[in-house]
Amino acid sequence: MSNPGRRTIAAPIVFGLAVLLGVAATFALDLFLLWWAALIIGVTLAFGLVAALAPFTPDESRIGADGTREEGTPLHNVLVVPMSLILAVAGGLVCAWVLDLQLIEPVAAALGALIGSALAFVLFHRLAAMMALSFAAVLAAGVLAVGVTAAVLLLSGIAPFRTFGRMAEFGTRPDSLVQIINSSITYYLAAVAVAIGFKMKLFNIGVDGQYRLAALLAAAVGGYLVLPPVVSQVVIIATAITVGGVWAGIAGYLKVARGVSEVISTIMLNAIATGITAYLLSTDRLAVEISTNNIGTPPMPESAWVPGIPAGFLGSDREIYGLVLLAVAVGFLYWMMLNRTRFGFELRATGQSQTAAEASGVNVKRMVFLSMLFSGMVAGLVGLPQLLGHSHYYALDFPAGIGFIGIAIALLGRNHPVGIVFAALLWAFLDQAAGILPFDGIPQEIAVIAQATIVLTVVVVYEVVHRWGRRYQQQQIGKQLGRAVESSGEAQ
Amino acid sequence: MSSTPSGEGAAGPFAVELRGITKRFPGVVANHDIDITVAPGTVHAIVGENGAGKSTLMKTLYGMHRPDEGHIRIRGEEVRFHSPSDAIRHGIGMVHQHFMLADNLTVLENVVLGAERRHGIGRRARARIQELSAQYGLGVDPDRLMEELGVGDRQRVEILKVLYRGAETIILDEPTAVLVPQEVDELFDNLRELKREGLTVIFISHKLDEVLSVADEITVIRRGTTVATADPRTTTARELATLMVGGELPVPELRESTVTDHVILSLNGVTVLSSEGRPVVDDVTLDIRRGEIVGIAGVEGNGQSELIEAIMGMRRAASGSIALEGQDITDWPTLRIREAGVGYIPEDRHRHGMLLDSPLWENRILGHQTREPSVRGPWINRSGARADSERIVTEYDVRTPNIDVIADALSGGNQQKFIIGREMSAQPHFLVAAHPTRGVDVGAQSAIWEQLREARAAGLAVLLVSADLDELIGMSDTLHVILRGRLVTEADPNSVTPEQLGSAMTGAGLGGADAHTEGGSGAEGTNGNESEGGA
Repeated sequence: MSNPGRRTIAAPIVFGLAVLLGVAATFALDLFLLWWAALIIGVTLAFGLVAALAPFTPDESRIGADGTREEGTPLHNVLVVPMSLILAVAGGLVCAWVLDLQLIEPVAAALGALIGSALAFVLFHRLAAMMALSFAAVLAAGVLAVGVTAAVLLLSGIAPFRTFGRMAEFGTRPDSLVQIINSSITYYLAAVAVAIGFKMKLFNIGVDGQYRLAALLAAAVGGYLVLPPVVSQVVIIATAITVGGVWAGIAGYLKVARGVSEVISTIMLNAIATGITAYLLSTDRLAVEISTNNIGTPPMPESAWVPGIPAGFLGSDREIYGLVLLAVAVGFLYWMMLNRTRFGFELRATGQSQTAAEASGVNVKRMVFLSMLFSGMVAGLVGLPQLLGHSHYYALDFPAGIGFIGIAIALLGRNHPVGIVFAALLWAFLDQAAGILPFDGIPQEIAVIAQATIVLTVVVVYEVVHRWGRRYQQQQIGKQLGRAVESSGEAQ
Repeated sequence: MSSTPSGEGAAGPFAVELRGITKRFPGVVANHDIDITVAPGTVHAIVGENGAGKSTLMKTLYGMHRPDEGHIRIRGEEVRFHSPSDAIRHGIGMVHQHFMLADNLTVLENVVLGAERRHGIGRRARARIQELSAQYGLGVDPDRLMEELGVGDRQRVEILKVLYRGAETIILDEPTAVLVPQEVDELFDNLRELKREGLTVIFISHKLDEVLSVADEITVIRRGTTVATADPRTTTARELATLMVGGELPVPELRESTVTDHVILSLNGVTVLSSEGRPVVDDVTLDIRRGEIVGIAGVEGNGQSELIEAIMGMRRAASGSIALEGQDITDWPTLRIREAGVGYIPEDRHRHGMLLDSPLWENRILGHQTREPSVRGPWINRSGARADSERIVTEYDVRTPNIDVIADALSGGNQQKFIIGREMSAQPHFLVAAHPTRGVDVGAQSAIWEQLREARAAGLAVLLVSADLDELIGMSDTLHVILRGRLVTEADPNSVTPEQLGSAMTGAGLGGADAHTEGGSGAEGTNGNESEGGA
């Protein structure tokens, strides 16, 4: 496949060739093999083509995102290249699998191969060492977590692979998929709320209390106040944001004005929120009888509901919460705030080094208060997808504890707006997939063990790998600049 | 005693023997081929410039990190320390420059903290402390509350802590940096007492006079390696200084004067109080003019940092006023002061000057997050910040592969050059330069001096705080000495010597040199409104 000439080939041509090869090979092999096997081979072939043609590809497309020339270094060869191959194949497989729900198999496989081959080109040339390292860390942590979970199962006398197989099968059923997406919408909002605090090195443990109080009051507003559509939803959402913000703002104020640790104050505010919800949620005050044994806020009129998105494309007749769009918007705003605004810069600067931020004229106290406020405002939204999309009232059985799950997911997603998406989906998948296990006589708690192990391993492995990668990168830079010589007179 | 170590070599093993120690950090070699032998029962001084690798070496000896090459022998026995507790077990103790004491505990509690297993926490511990205190003449009362003690007493508690843990060799890292002269004398008496009792002291310093007065043997470190061993009885401070700098250092000097009459920054009776209400900056009055570099000399911890923080709005002045171009900025927040045209090269660039985990171009925004070209309204202007970072990298010769590497990957000198480029990029009227060449290699040092000279010629007013007396004398138009928060003396940089300055810094006055500027330099205009001789 390699070009005999010594000239360069324009990047788009290589890209086109790779995609063509990947799709053609997958399509042809699909006639003899299972679709996924065909796709793996097709994408791998495309990747091989890209790699073979790499020496002829112009330089500007071959530089890692952190700018150092990485090709040829041992790290690049043993880590970045295999990681990009794995990611390209995985990307192709996932796309083909989703498309397979809609389209006939050969077409889905071919389209998956197209995406996988395109990814192969982009990743081979653009994947930076540090990114690859992060992916590798997550992969390693995942393998480790599966190993630990399998060991626990073995010790309990349960066949691990059969269990995993059952979970995978049940978790990918269309109805499960919708359930997973809906749970992860809620989880995502909670995790973003926590992540805003984490970026500032603030630990908002109070997301739980913030969202429950916000959901109760928003539900009460929606239930008692009959407003025209759109206005109604806007008022309810605004109420939730305000309540969440105020509740977290108390902790922020205490921290700024009195030096009270936000860890302590948010935990206490959680307890107070529990008390207040219990007080308000009685038939003498906000609640009415919903059914026997259950009381809650009066059901909202239909004008306040947010219609769901039919999930026919996943093969299910259930609906995805309409507020998935709100979660997407929150994620986007979070990303933009963090990376594109002055406020986000100051927030990250304060989180990284409070002393440097102060010397640079950042008003640290103001930043602490505002980030706590924003964290609470997002936390206020956590209950809404469920409230406006499904239950339409806040009752005794409204889900609790999501704030704590949010902490785990923010850790798992490394506070990154996209990382959190995957973390939330994984968490929701484990929740959902474990639902089948009791039918087989396997304890459902296995999912909890898996979740806990994953969080621990990801946090630890990521940190270890990240430190190692940082040192490695510094050495590379030292070598590049040729100043790692004995004559350097400087001690750090 | 310097002849005895070799004589004793045959009789008893060395207290500490370091052979061929090499320690590399990413991109730099902090120590290489270090050879030191310390005879028991002596005070062994290790001298070298800032950044020569003294502290790295002592951290190696104390087990805080492991050497890449070389051997450590303690009393003839080869050891490998994995942690400080290993070192303590072998009788090595270290007193850090910054004390590690809990203010709200008593001396007894501080001493036994972490060493409860030795003599418990009660009567036996108290008896042991009193015994040690008497034996070594430390005069420490175990029941005093730590916050009641002065700096000298605290240091004695630190030494006692080390003795309590059974140390026979005590490392003191720059012990005199925080002490006033009387306290230094007391410390030296204590050290002689320790020596008399048979203990070994390793004394890190870059102050030659002190080293000559207390040490039995001196090892000179330059650029990470041992260059000489000297006998204090036959060596002069000048010879030591030559050994320390190696005679190839760039010389800081200003060319013709560029000082004008236009006052940029004016401090009037500025007083800053510590959290305990003690004045750390005491009634400082100072004018800095266009094109003038005003140097502040002083032993570290005499109010320089607090003075800078007051100017930068990071600390509030208790009284007095600060004016920039005639505007009162005393109560302005840091951001507004920076926006008004004040640049800041902080003394600790890792703590105050950089986001080490962020790429270089994001560091361009730091401190300039409200100004072009880094931002556009509330938005970060990525392309603007990146383009300007490229410019800084080129113009200031920052050695980096590109502007996307994290700041931590650069060497100290290149980080510093980038900071200077950043602070200059907003065309400041006034620059606070705190230790601008600390921990910076020789090449970067001369580049930084050249940049300061150019900026001065272009009309910048500079407040230069430094511990490098040659830098201060060479780079200043006007030179003040700060002692216990007061500007006590003004020296003429054209005629003053580092020795005279050094004695003025310890409160002994300039020692015969004319304290006032004389004709010939452009700095004479400053004399009129100085508050001098305050102490």
